[in-house]
Amino acid sequence: MSRSTFSALVIQVGFLAILGGAWYWSTATGSVSKLFLPEPAAVWLAFSRLVVTGQFWSAVRVTLTTIAQAYAIALIVGIAAGYLVSRSRFLIDVLEPFIAGLFTIPITLFFPMFILFFGIGTGSKVAYGASYAFFPIALNAIAAFANVETHFLRAARAMGASRWGTFRHVLVPSALPVLLNGMRIGFFICFASVLGGETLSSIAGVGRNIAQAAELMDSARMYAWIAFVVLTAITLNLLIGGLERRASVRGGGAW
Amino acid sequence: MDSKVQSFPTHDIAGRPLAISIRNVSQCYGQAGSAQAVVALDNVSLDIGRGEFVCLLGPSGCGKSTLLNIVGGLVAPSAGDVTVDGRSVRGEPLPRQVAFVFQESTLFPWYTILENFRIALKFQDIARSEWDSRALAALDAVGMAGFARHYPTQLSVGMRQRVNMARSICVGTDILLMDEPFAALDEQTRMVLGEDLSILLAKTGKTIVFVTHSLAEAVFLSDRIAVMTARPGRIKTIVEVNEAHPRSPDFMLEPRFSDLRNELYALLRNEIRQAVAAQRDPETGGEVSS
Amino acid sequence: MVMTASTWETRNSRLSYAARVRWARCLIIVAALVALEIYGRLFADPAFFQPPSKIVHAWLFTVLSDARITSALGMAVFEIAFAYALAVVFGAVIGLAIGATALSRRAFFPLILLLYAIPQVSFIPLFVLMFGLGAASKIAFGFSHGVFPVIVAVVGGMKNVPALYMRGARSMGVSKLGIFRHVVFPNIAPGFFVGLRLAMTMTLLGVILAELYVSTAGIGYFTRMFAENYNPAPLFALIGSLAAIALAFNGCVRIAERRLSPMRRSAQLS
Repeated sequence: MSRSTFSALVIQVGFLAILGGAWYWSTATGSVSKLFLPEPAAVWLAFSRLVVTGQFWSAVRVTLTTIAQAYAIALIVGIAAGYLVSRSRFLIDVLEPFIAGLFTIPITLFFPMFILFFGIGTGSKVAYGASYAFFPIALNAIAAFANVETHFLRAARAMGASRWGTFRHVLVPSALPVLLNGMRIGFFICFASVLGGETLSSIAGVGRNIAQAAELMDSARMYAWIAFVVLTAITLNLLIGGLERRASVRGGGAW
Repeated sequence: MDSKVQSFPTHDIAGRPLAISIRNVSQCYGQAGSAQAVVALDNVSLDIGRGEFVCLLGPSGCGKSTLLNIVGGLVAPSAGDVTVDGRSVRGEPLPRQVAFVFQESTLFPWYTILENFRIALKFQDIARSEWDSRALAALDAVGMAGFARHYPTQLSVGMRQRVNMARSICVGTDILLMDEPFAALDEQTRMVLGEDLSILLAKTGKTIVFVTHSLAEAVFLSDRIAVMTARPGRIKTIVEVNEAHPRSPDFMLEPRFSDLRNELYALLRNEIRQAVAAQRDPETGGEVSS
Repeated sequence: MVMTASTWETRNSRLSYAARVRWARCLIIVAALVALEIYGRLFADPAFFQPPSKIVHAWLFTVLSDARITSALGMAVFEIAFAYALAVVFGAVIGLAIGATALSRRAFFPLILLLYAIPQVSFIPLFVLMFGLGAASKIAFGFSHGVFPVIVAVVGGMKNVPALYMRGARSMGVSKLGIFRHVVFPNIAPGFFVGLRLAMTMTLLGVILAELYVSTAGIGYFTRMFAENYNPAPLFALIGSLAAIALAFNGCVRIAERRLSPMRRSAQLS
């Protein structure tokens, strides 16, 4: 570890320690209402009680199933649509601005419509998560497949590659880094939008439990749920980041 | 029109076997007669014999790469005919007869060197059992066998182009079309690769068409040099170099070498000026690539 | 494989390529509206779907003529603008502070990126608990969404100053302040504008999430009421109005970017 990495680490740990200390101190002295910010010990207690309940695991299962379904739909539809659009410059020029433009406004706006069409159960969350994640996946797929270096395609043609051979050995590997980037962004958007949908309006799942704890003014429990979501998100983020680094080492970097 | 165009010539007038025959080929981009229309090639004819090394030399934008792409079937000509080994080529590559080496390394960066060779052989429908032996033999021939498991990005530009050349050779076609393969290399590397190429020609008897704008490279490598005019590209004249392959670097020190080089420069000087002037003019400038 | 613009142009030269792209886009919009109209009139259950003509009617006579709804929309506009302004100012200040030295970047930038990756939506109940049901919670939530892209853009711009420029400036004896003004700052600018655009998208998301979460007042109240009463025409009209507001805000950011950008390298940025 170099010296500057070490000092950065010291600062990070110190900063987090100060935040934690401030949390402890402000709740211990009673300068902040326990409703807004419960004591660390209370949150820990709520968390340790929560994770042993069947209610916790059934909520997690509902949310994970919803995310998996939504993401699978977004992947299939997004990549297929992106590939088809990328086959013609004209289609890209006509359709890409629609997709990109729609993605600049929050798809959350249309959430009430999803509730209207698909009901308050998981169906509306699947549809909402899939729709939101569709955009980054499709946009990156268009860019990935449209920007394959022409000299690679020309070389494949000169070597007598079949259509399938070109697709399998040139188009897909060349598009993969950008495609994976879209898949990563799409995953986190899917994750957040399913949680958001559950928080806004639902009958089950992690998001519903957060909102319910808030409605019951059970702050410690709400913080415990939020901590669970935050830890999950950070773990996933580090995991995917690590996978990406390993993949890029193997392929000798981007092309 | 020449009657030979219809009968697909297989021999030249002197009776020697022909590898490639280019007859009255023209290439025009944009609609004929419109303001944007660009005539890249204008009525080009050229016969290339078996085992011959022919250079297409000319100023940038003269359509020499376009001509090479037409011969290789990557581009269909607007007019005229090309035959390779007596077979007509119209915008359809003949991967069994013709292999390309491009200016950019076309080794796929997502595969290792060995995997790149395997893919090329697979595309050529060569039996799987032969892949590795042929690949390693070709790599060995250019002294790169130790790099089979490396990714292309781990090699220097010169090494990459050497491997790139080896890949095109290992598929075993009689004809090799090379589009400025050494243009991105430094002077010293390109001299070494040029020597390698000359040795290869002597060993395998391949027919090579080589596009370049380097005068020295053209003289060092070619049996014949087709000097082209600025756009619209025509063949201005053909210069012969009578020197057996493989050629040693000593050839470059002979007075004959510099005489030929000077002759080429005298032929090209005005064409280069015209091409540079055309590039400055935005209306007609810029290489039209396929 | 991919057809290039020029080959299309030569195929059909009566209309320019750009004109044909524009026509195709208009055609798609018109075709979609006609299809929805036919579907809505002939096939759809009116409790779930209404044709565009009815939605326009509801927009004129329910949404725009109800002072409670228009004031809720006006409030949303105010919240978005306010949250965005806060996000840009604080984001720039925090970004400059973090990006100032290599050490502060290495210490705090990973933390910022980690925070950025957290699904903030799980914090909505907390924001409402802390800031109440009114505008404050929506502004705070919009701000907390919008501030991160700005920070990331500023720090990213300061981090990625090409070493060549720094060496060039130092070799000319430019002072530290001079280097910031003439080398670092211009290098932040292009990425900063991208950050501003992203920040707008995120602020819109934050404000609208909070608006929809609070279902006892504001827009969330009306969307819930229309949905529960199976009255889709005004619901769609209200959502459409919000979408139009969102597009207008994005448009403003783009115009500002075009006006203010010191060196608009449109080919690279767009």
